Parts: sequence; structure tokens; C-alpha cells
Amino acid sequence: MFKEGMLELVGTGFVETLYMTLASTIFAYIIGLPLGLLLVVTDKDGIKPVPWLNAVLGTIINIVRSIPFLILLVALMPFTKAVVGTVIGAKATIVGLLVAAAPFVARMVESSLKEVEKGVIEAAQSMGASPFQIMTKVLLPEAKPSLLVGGAIAITTILGYSAMAGFVGGGGLGAIAINYGYYRGQQDIMYMMVILLVVIVQVFQELGMKISKRTDRRL
Amino acid sequence: MEKETMIRLEGIKKRFKTKAGELEVLHGVSADIKKGEVFGIIGLSGAGKSTLVRCINLLERPTGGKVWLDGVELTALNDKNLREQRRHMGMIFQQFHLLMQKTALENVCFPLMISGVPKAQAKERAKELLELVGLADRMESYPAQLSGGQKQRVAIARALATEPKVLLCDEATSALDPNTTAGVLKLLKDINERLGITIVVITHEMSVIQEICDRVAIIDGGLIAEEGTVEEIFRNPKTKIGQELVLHEGTNREAYTGRLPYCYRLVFKGGSENEPVLGQMMIETKGVANILAANTRTIDEQAYGQMVLQFPEEKELRNTMIKYLTDRGVVVEEVEYV
Ligand SMILES: Nc1ncnc2c1ncn2[C@@H]1O[C@H](COP(=O)(O)OP(=O)(O)OP(=O)(O)O)[C@@H](O)[C@H]1O
Ligand SMILES: [Mg+2]
Repeated sequence: MFKEGMLELVGTGFVETLYMTLASTIFAYIIGLPLGLLLVVTDKDGIKPVPWLNAVLGTIINIVRSIPFLILLVALMPFTKAVVGTVIGAKATIVGLLVAAAPFVARMVESSLKEVEKGVIEAAQSMGASPFQIMTKVLLPEAKPSLLVGGAIAITTILGYSAMAGFVGGGGLGAIAINYGYYRGQQDIMYMMVILLVVIVQVFQELGMKISKRTDRRL
Repeated sequence: MEKETMIRLEGIKKRFKTKAGELEVLHGVSADIKKGEVFGIIGLSGAGKSTLVRCINLLERPTGGKVWLDGVELTALNDKNLREQRRHMGMIFQQFHLLMQKTALENVCFPLMISGVPKAQAKERAKELLELVGLADRMESYPAQLSGGQKQRVAIARALATEPKVLLCDEATSALDPNTTAGVLKLLKDINERLGITIVVITHEMSVIQEICDRVAIIDGGLIAEEGTVEEIFRNPKTKIGQELVLHEGTNREAYTGRLPYCYRLVFKGGSENEPVLGQMMIETKGVANILAANTRTIDEQAYGQMVLQFPEEKELRNTMIKYLTDRGVVVEEVEYV
């Protein structure tokens, strides 16, 4: 059914997809996690309200999030070129992915942290905890299970984006599906990629949920 | 001997900004809480009790007035110094507010870790405290695996970790059943007596006040309605709200608040064994009194019975009856008729 070398192609695509997804997720969290924390802390009901900063951050996040991914990717091309020297391939896609995903991650982190009961934070304050101690010793550890679920959702969403990036020269399974399936009409290859993507999504999703459940002490 | 002041509240006001406009919840509350005492603050729901206690450790910034802790004016401190002072005040809550992802032991270690105590030392101290509250065998349990009473004990151990001078308790037993409540109250009393920690107890239940408090302030409508020793307040509540709270639980409240004429409140030492006095009175004076409410309470190990009676209309007979009772050591006071 497949031409020679196909398996190798798919193998490379698979590795590329994983690489893009994981790398951009990590970068997106490096930016999004502090951003989400900042959103919660500077909220008007937060532990250190800074209304103007909160409003500025919120607006930037909303703007980036409202730009469709493919358009964002194209718009970012000059920036991408400046950073990684090229606008095609896996490396270039990572730049676009992390810019698109960071604000999304920030919102997910924000919503997880807001699940932490206000009373627990107050109890910590009553013991003389500083805002920084509350962030690192109360908010993050208490929200861990929810953050992990958020992580699984973020990975699978970023994986979806990475496949889309195939349309504008990104690498990975998405690019194979588009190049062989769409442009050359090899439907079987397209379906195979789709199935592979579905399987990867399932694995990450399940894994995330499992780890979250296992580490959650609320029973 | 005049005891030293531990907490001093001076004209505490608190106004909240809400969507519906400004709402002043506390209108200028002053109080002097002495070292080593158990001070109760009681009031109906919405009276401003929680707001007041949160003003003591400044979880809520008063919009007016001053707070002192052991001679230090908290309301004048910057954030950093305030955090320092807060370590001298433990607080426990109705809903416990434990860290759900941490074991009992880690929860008790928490205040020590944030004040920079080395881990091994914190663990030692936490273990001692959990033993003190009777949870030596549940140190590795997570809050979700503990009962309400056990959770509150962890919370108490946690609040005591930094060796505070004061323990603030906001409805600490309101989420617990009567048996568990009794256990937790006993523990608090124990802590007060053994460690000499000043305790502030917020509650809407007179029974809690009677169980452990030395003095009590009744808060109503954002002001202290009356204040005194528990015995004073119980024997002779001067305000309507005081009377209502004292006779509140399980009794005919409407009768008590003075909807009927010729009502009197009787207090006698010794609880129900003194009730025959009433029968004697009715036989000897031939005056019939209608019992509207009755109960017995124990304050400082002394039983008190109290009743609300409606006396007959004829003034002379009424006076004879009252004299009969007062002659036999019963406190009789008229309930204001409105
Ligand atoms: N953050 C807030 N913003 C606006 N209003 C508030 C706030 N906190 C409390 N209030 C109002 O202040 C009043 C007193 O509340 P508080 O919680 O102090 O009462 P409480 O005596 O503790 O009552 P309960 O016995 O029900 O706990 C209530 O009317 C409440 O709605
Ligand atoms: Mg309250």
C-alpha cells in the first residue's frame, strides 16, 4: 500500500510532531504560568491587587487569543525569521505555537488557581505568609491537580495547532497529511495521519487525567 | 488585680463598598481583651462578628479606629511588620481552611516553614502539637480523610504552631455536631489554661459562650450592645438582644421578647431542683403564673435555672407572688412589654 520510505517519513513526522508539541508546551508554560499567576495575584480580589497591570495583561492576552492561529503564524513570520532564521519546518512552527499558546495557557492557569478556596489563602495570610509565599506554597501546590488537567488540555490543543501549521510550511504529521493527502490526493495517508493524531491526543489526555487523579489528595 | 490588656479595639469602623452602594457594618466598636482570658463575641447572623474578628488581625482593614496587640498598634504597621505581628495571632475558621494537598503534619509545619524554621525542627514541633490535640495517629492523613472535628484539631494545632499570644476562633464549632463541639471546646479551654493563650471566640450560640468564656460582648447592628462577665450577662441581660440570646435556644422566643404583658424573668441558682419554689408560691399565694419558657444552664460549674412567667393582671397579687420568690433568693425581673 505504501511506497518505500513511507514508514520512515511517517516516523520522522511523528517525532517532529512530538518535538514541536512538547517544546512549545514547555515554552508556553514558561511564559504562561507566571502570566496566569500574575493575573490572579493582581486581580482586584487577589492577594496583591494592581488593577492597571491586570487590565493591561488581560487585554494583551485577549487580543492575541482572538487572532486566528494561521493568521497569527503568518503575521509572526518576520519575527520567526529573526529568531530562528527560517519560517518553515518544526523550529519555526514552535515560535508561532508558543506565541499562540502562551496566552491560552495563562488563562488556563488563571482558572485553575482561582479554584483554590479563598479561605485557605486567608488562613495563610493570617499566619503571616507573604504574597510570594502564598503563590509558591499555597496557590501552586493546592491547584496542582487542576493545573495538570490544564496541562493535558494545553498539550492536546497545541498538538492540534501544530498539525494546522502544516499548511504554512510547518513540519510533522500535519504537514504529511496536507502534502500527501490534500495536495496529492493520497487519502489513505491522510487518514493514517488523522488516526495517529487522534491516538496521540488520547494518550496525552488520558495520561494527564491519570496523573492529576493520582496526585490529588482530595480523594 | 487589674489584668493587662492583650487586644485593644478602639472605635473600629468597617464600611464595605458594594454594588448597591456603601454599607457600614461596624459603627465604632471598642473592646479591651485581657491577657489570658477567653473572650466571647456573640450576636445574631449578620451582626458583624466575622467582620470584627477579621479586623483584629487585619484580614479586613478597618475603615476607622485602631487595633492594638499587646501594646503594638497593628493599624499603624506596614505590610511586612504586620506579617511579623500576625505570627503572634493564630486563627481558626468554621470551614477549617486546611491545605487539601498536604498531610496533617505538613499543614501544621506550614506556618513554621513560612516563618523560616528549619524543616526538621518544624516537623518535631508539629508532631508535638498534633499529639497535644489528640491526633498523634493521624499525622500522615490528608484533610479529606479526616472528620470535621479532626480537621478542626489540625487547624488548632496549625494555629498554635508559631506559639501565638492570641487565638482567634470564628465560629470554630459551628460546622460540628454537639459531641464534637464539646470536645473541641474542651480542647480550647485546655489550651487557654495550660498555655495561657488569650482566646477570642466568635459564635452565635450562647452555649459556646457558657462553656468556655470568661467575658462576653454582645454585638448587634454593628455595635457592642452590652459587655460583662458571662455570669453577669446570663443572670441579668440588660438589652433586648442580650435577653433574646440568653433565652434563645429551644425556647419560646416570641414570648420572651415582650409581646405579652406582665411577663417576668426568673433566675435561680441550683437548676431544676429549685423549681418546687414555684409550686409552693402558687399554692401559698393562690396566684397562677403561666410558664412561657424555661431552661437550665451551667455556668462555671454552677447550675442556673431560668424561666419566663406570665403573672396575673391584679397588681397586688402579682407583687405578693414576686415578693414570695425574691424572699427565697430568686432573681425576678420584669420583661419589658412592647
Ligand atoms: N466583603 C464584604 N462585602 C460587602 N459586605 C460584606 C462583606 N463582608 C461582610 N459583609 C456584610 O457585613 C455584614 C456582617 O457580616 P459578618 O460576616 O461580619 O456577619 P456575622 O455576624 O459573622 O454573621 P454570621 O453569623 O452569619 O457569620 C453582613 O450584612 C454582610 O453581608
Ligand atoms: Mg460570621
